[in-house]
Amino acid sequence: MPVHETYTPLVIEAGGSLFQQNCAFCHGKDAGGGESGPDLTRSKLVSTDMKGEKIGEVIRNGRPDKGMPRFGLSDQEITSLVAFVHSQQDKAMAQTGTRKGVDVSDLQTGDLEAGKKYFNGAGGCATCHSPTGDLAGVATRYQGLKLEQQMLYPRDAKSKVTVTPSAGPELTGQLAYLDEFTVALIDSTGVYRSWPIVKVKYKVDAPAKAHIELFDKYTDDDIHNLMAYIQTLH
Amino acid sequence: MRLLKGALLLSAIALLAVRLPQALEAQNVDRAMLTRPPKDSWPAYHGDYSGRRHSPLVEITPKNVKDLTLAWAFQTEQAAIIKATPILIDGILYFTVPDNIWAIDARTGHQIWRYTAPPNKAFHIGQRGVSIYKGWLYYMSSDAHLLSINPKDGKVRWDVVVADSSKGQWSTMAPLIVGDHVLVGASGDFDNLQGFVRSINPETGATQWQWDATLPVGTPNKTTGGNVWMTGTYDPDLNLVYWGTGNPTPVLNGKPRPGDNLYTCSIVALNPETGKLVWAFQPSPHDTHDWDAVEVPVLVDGDFHGKPRKMLMQASRNGHFFVLDRTDGKNLLTTTFGPVNWTLGIDKEGRPIPNPAKEPAPDGRLIAPDEGGLTNYRSPSFDPKTGLFIVSAAPSYSLYFAKPADGTYGWAGADYSLWSKGVLEAIDYQTGKIRWSHELGDGRSGAGVMTTDSGLTFTGDAAGNFLALDTSTGKTLWHAGSGSHIQSPSITYELDGHQVVLTSSGGVLFAWRLPSVSQ
Repeated sequence: MPVHETYTPLVIEAGGSLFQQNCAFCHGKDAGGGESGPDLTRSKLVSTDMKGEKIGEVIRNGRPDKGMPRFGLSDQEITSLVAFVHSQQDKAMAQTGTRKGVDVSDLQTGDLEAGKKYFNGAGGCATCHSPTGDLAGVATRYQGLKLEQQMLYPRDAKSKVTVTPSAGPELTGQLAYLDEFTVALIDSTGVYRSWPIVKVKYKVDAPAKAHIELFDKYTDDDIHNLMAYIQTLH
Repeated sequence: MRLLKGALLLSAIALLAVRLPQALEAQNVDRAMLTRPPKDSWPAYHGDYSGRRHSPLVEITPKNVKDLTLAWAFQTEQAAIIKATPILIDGILYFTVPDNIWAIDARTGHQIWRYTAPPNKAFHIGQRGVSIYKGWLYYMSSDAHLLSINPKDGKVRWDVVVADSSKGQWSTMAPLIVGDHVLVGASGDFDNLQGFVRSINPETGATQWQWDATLPVGTPNKTTGGNVWMTGTYDPDLNLVYWGTGNPTPVLNGKPRPGDNLYTCSIVALNPETGKLVWAFQPSPHDTHDWDAVEVPVLVDGDFHGKPRKMLMQASRNGHFFVLDRTDGKNLLTTTFGPVNWTLGIDKEGRPIPNPAKEPAPDGRLIAPDEGGLTNYRSPSFDPKTGLFIVSAAPSYSLYFAKPADGTYGWAGADYSLWSKGVLEAIDYQTGKIRWSHELGDGRSGAGVMTTDSGLTFTGDAAGNFLALDTSTGKTLWHAGSGSHIQSPSITYELDGHQVVLTSSGGVLFAWRLPSVSQ
């Protein structure tokens, strides 16, 4: 069981009210997942949070890349939310029998050999990845649903961009911003630079793009088989 | 002395001008005005009854839009993002975020009054605006009460309960007002509850009728749900109101509710006097992916394959674009406007046939679009000149899970979006083919769409840029970074003889106009 700070029932109850108002639509009334938000009772971030140092940061800053807005709540309100989320996690983890939500054991329907074949063949995974290279130990770093999500779309994979200004040398760096008007990168020295798109040529190298192209090719069996194989890469 | 005389004369003229009867005073918002809104108003959520979100104004054009300049910005100083469509009556804008209503001067953007609701525990996910009729505002509170509010000072005249929020319903919608009927509904699919449209007397708050989308809770083998949480549209000639209904419950587990689950995920035509169902069409039979069919039922009169038709068009959350004959609900066209992988085809009535193998399962199913849908509640727009139905789309993929332990109540499963992007799609309604696409960036845009008769399309991208595009080509003609997420569509109106475009982003409203108008 995770080690959480102890809170009074009053604080937990206040957190429950705030949770219903601000969080429940996405994360579910019981924090077990709702419309688009993850199941917080299964969250590693929640189980490794002692007294709001991690959860509080997410509430304050949001997760704009994942669609979570930041919330302008007071420290006291955040503490009560933390208390509620901890208590919901403790409740869920104390349950006996099959829990609601996605368990690692739910994702074991695939065929390892078929998955390996797909990896090296039709899926084209081996074009970019190697089980002994970048993917070595991937099944140790991630498990279950988290591993499957990473496998299907590694949303944290950074893109590179090469920008060629009309005058001056070509620059390559990590893509920092892109819309139809502006492109920006962080160069090898950590400096952020941006340009109006009309003034430069640019080329994005997005490693995750190949994953997007696979979405309309997979069958559900392909995914389950691939998962069976990826899970062996400890 | 001459100078003083002149000044006196001027002030007399000014006084006269102020005293001149104005066609747009709040008490004069009646059926006729809501049917044909004057140019210097935006008196209801969709602007007019048709839901086309298309304005006849032409001062701002594809040629001069690049010169748009900020007239003012209004800061709510709230964390809540504005999801409301403001209404404009008599030079005053009324708009909301959950538990808050503001009246602000459309000339300056300064606050006239602000109403704040008493604290309540309901979901506070959004508020889409107030409605006005014969001198009173109508507001749905987060905890699903309907309030009648005085537009002069924000004081509450009456407050009636529409749904019991302690059971799990809440509210976000701007009411639809048709004659002496204030039409409302509620949200709430975390519990197995009945969706409904209710008609309320604008004077007294008394219920006139209620149409239930589904059978009473507890009816064996029957679905619950079908919440009506968006503002409907209205055809005054046919005297029919059109609404989309929400998804069935339990949400992701379809086993306890076999069959089509009428009237969930449906477009329904109701008689506004009686609440009687006249026809229904179901975009998502037996939905198991939370794809409410509440997206705006847009009413268009025009040619369809050589015949004049009274049509209803919907770009639905489930990824399909439908054209119906709105006199009888018969399907004229069904097509997709992005990646869709959950059907076995289209049936003879034009409805998608759900593939049972794509129902949520214990080991997960890859589904396009994701639960947020290929589009959602943000308004699309219909441009009559080009015949384009323009919708902010989100091509997307997700994983859907459901297993016995998830139960048969409320959500009853889990789903996780994997990836999405925003694209503005301009659909030719005669063929369903996409004439142009405009990429809006990774993630998705919540900006919705508005078009004008001068050939402009106003929208926003996923990065928070306000955009004005050429409606015929989709090319960008103007943009401005807004500094936050855009979650509501633009409106436009004439103020002091000149066109204004009003946009919002984060907790801020922005009023734009041409520089020649600056004082």
